[in-house]
Amino acid sequence: MFNLFLFEYALSSLKRRGAKNIFIFVIFFILIFLLSSIFFISNSMKYELSQTVDALPDITIQKLEAGREQNIDIDRVDKLSEIPGVSEVSPRVWGYYYFKNAGANFVVVGVDRFSPNYKKSIQKVVDKFDSVIFDNNDTMIVGKGVKDILEKNYYDKYFNFIKPNGDLKKIKIAGTFKGSTVLESNDIILLSNENAREIFGMKDDEVTDITLRVPNPKEVSKIASKITIMYPDCRVITKNDLEISYNNIFDYKSGIFLSLFIVALFTFFIIIYDKSSGLSSDEKREIGVQKAVGWRIGDILLQKFYEAGILSGMAFVLSITFSIFYVYILNAPILRSVFTGYSILKPAFKLPFVVDLQTIMLIFFATVPLYIAATIVPSWFAATLDADEVIR
Amino acid sequence: MNKNLKYFIVFFIVILSFFAIEMIVLSSRGVDVNDKRLFVSKIGLPDLAVSTEAKYVRHRSISDIFSIFNENPVSVSYFVTTFTYAPSTNLNNTPNIIEEK
Repeated sequence: MFNLFLFEYALSSLKRRGAKNIFIFVIFFILIFLLSSIFFISNSMKYELSQTVDALPDITIQKLEAGREQNIDIDRVDKLSEIPGVSEVSPRVWGYYYFKNAGANFVVVGVDRFSPNYKKSIQKVVDKFDSVIFDNNDTMIVGKGVKDILEKNYYDKYFNFIKPNGDLKKIKIAGTFKGSTVLESNDIILLSNENAREIFGMKDDEVTDITLRVPNPKEVSKIASKITIMYPDCRVITKNDLEISYNNIFDYKSGIFLSLFIVALFTFFIIIYDKSSGLSSDEKREIGVQKAVGWRIGDILLQKFYEAGILSGMAFVLSITFSIFYVYILNAPILRSVFTGYSILKPAFKLPFVVDLQTIMLIFFATVPLYIAATIVPSWFAATLDADEVIR
Repeated sequence: MNKNLKYFIVFFIVILSFFAIEMIVLSSRGVDVNDKRLFVSKIGLPDLAVSTEAKYVRHRSISDIFSIFNENPVSVSYFVTTFTYAPSTNLNNTPNIIEEK
């Protein structure tokens, strides 16, 4: 039962109290914009993680000693490969390298250069690949962030790693990972296992951790428990554990999210309180005059519904539109620092575009109906009184 | 139709067309997921390189509790992103409980 005349009247009424309504509109806009932008960023990051979770190894084995991660003896690889159901066992050498000049942490990952199809498959994710340099042992492939930092420090063709004994290890740059993988590869340096061991000062019979591939997903948990019995000093992380960890990456009940929600709700309830604590004498007089000239209670409430609906609905639509623009086209300036922190190596914040209707609905139902209700209820109290009583 | 209604309709149409253009542009922005999957399968390490300030933030899914309290058992983590990313559920996945054979 849409009433165009009442709708027009509601628009005129909004215009009449322009300054106050613009203020409420702006606060409403900022509030929803902030909440939806944070939700869009966090949802996109979750989506990005979920897209690659299948490609991770089925089981990761780490050795813990006094609660700290330690290197594992390479002999365990043979015993692990004897477990029925395991198709591939990969000992890994990887770790963090702190580049003091820039204050950046690199992730150095060693690979077996002689594994089948390795060069062919790695070429697919590398830009500016130099095959001639790559065939030499002392070469590396770096992420875009690493490449930029090295270039700023005049290392455009090679980099000198400082080994634990203080000697230098010169490694040439053979290529950069593709821009499409920047969220995963930004801080990665990929080189041979031998070079990684030399840079970290690791022994030849040690590896950082071991990963397993298990073709049958139903066997993963059984194999994981077998490994726990075989090696009680090891922590076994399955792909399922990683998936659970990915799903819980953001804890909305603490940290930055809780602070944001408290501020947002507090601001919103100030608006609600202002609205629901009663009408101004002007507004009451208006309702009195409307009743005196023959308006029914239903008409008055419908007009108030249109007023609140236009104000909150427009603010909602505008803020969602702008937050999509802000997050996915402008790449969330300022707010992105909440997610990158102190990091020196900041990737291009190009997040995958995901519109989560559930989140949008959540924000909608937490704000718009509440505001409409807070406008209608006091108007209903005033409208049920006699006209002369309200005007007086 | 009064003047206010005309302004309102124009305003609403402008927002909706902006929204529609935005959706079309963003939906057509394809990203090659196969590249990402191939990269992750070759490297085998979890988590995103969005924050690299601490190793338990960079590789939070496979970090242990002692990497968080590395400096001192009672020192509170001071990296800002630890207020954004929750600690991994795998932190307590320590090999202290062994199944009966």
